[in-house]
Amino acid sequence: MATNTLSTENKFTWGGGKSPFSVSYGKLMMWIFLLSDAFTFSSLLIAYGFIRYSFQSPIHNEIVKPLAHVADNFVEQMQQAGLFLQDHWPSPELVFNHFPFVHGVHLPLFFVSLMTFILIFSSVTMVLAVEAGHRMAKDEVAKYMLLTIIGGAAFLGCQAWEWTTFIGEGARLYENPYGPRSFAALFFIVTGFHGMHVFSGVVLNVIIYLNVLNNTYEKRGHYEMVEKVGLYWHFVDLVWVFVFTFYYLI
Amino acid sequence: MEHTEHLEHTETPKDMKSQIWKTFWILFAFTIVDIILYFVLLSNHSMMKNWVFIILGIVKAYYIVGIFMHMKFERKSLMYMIVIPMVFVIFLVALMIIEGDFTGLLRWIK
Repeated sequence: MATNTLSTENKFTWGGGKSPFSVSYGKLMMWIFLLSDAFTFSSLLIAYGFIRYSFQSPIHNEIVKPLAHVADNFVEQMQQAGLFLQDHWPSPELVFNHFPFVHGVHLPLFFVSLMTFILIFSSVTMVLAVEAGHRMAKDEVAKYMLLTIIGGAAFLGCQAWEWTTFIGEGARLYENPYGPRSFAALFFIVTGFHGMHVFSGVVLNVIIYLNVLNNTYEKRGHYEMVEKVGLYWHFVDLVWVFVFTFYYLI
Repeated sequence: MEHTEHLEHTETPKDMKSQIWKTFWILFAFTIVDIILYFVLLSNHSMMKNWVFIILGIVKAYYIVGIFMHMKFERKSLMYMIVIPMVFVIFLVALMIIEGDFTGLLRWIK
């Protein structure tokens, strides 16, 4: 029988012969990587909080109600109505009001909520794959890994659509029709950095999925690799929870 | 066939599957609450409103890290190693939001 990699780890990795945290070396390093990655994201969100509060709060919108009709020149109308000003942070409900295939209707935050649910759901399928891995149920692991990949790809598609809409309305890294310039710059940097993480997560998931199909982990005797990539995937979901909170709600 | 030694695993609850789905519904509900609160508190711009959303975010983070990332069932030492640095980050968030307010005042004075 193939030697268990974990048993060799016991001999050489730890000076005391045993992990002080009762987790394998790879998993511990994944946790430490995630902590450092959390610092990177925190620095972006802290910068966001700082810049957001160095501008005045959004002006309360009493003109556009949910489900109201939205004209093609909505952004210009809002600028004229005094809701998009240079020294006031724009109100997220007036900026994030688009939905694919639904044109000309004010749907505040609907699309971003959908994106949040997609990511939470793909996190659930990932944790179900990890759980199936504990039982060495190869087919179930493969099934849930595939669902996770689909969820991740759907999220990336949503983000691409959202970016396209904003760029179409004139938002750039250096200019912003909704108000202060830093709003659009921060939007593209924060969601772009998160989207890059989702993309690399999907790539890792595809690699793991192919390995599962090739019986790599069946031969190795454990599905720990699924757990490690799962940790990364949940972290991406966790970051989205905070991007959602800071960018769309506050 | 020798049975190779496996790293001792901290215990996973037997009903993991039902716990996963329970966590999913909790996260789902909190996200809905978030969105409803956003519209309820739309005209409110106090610091309290931010703390409501940040605390809801931390509650969701507790469920994701605790159940999905298995942290609740790991050794306490591992948990403290990861969680304690993040407490300081939250402290920094609070500091920078307050600092941003003052920077805004400076811009207004000019």
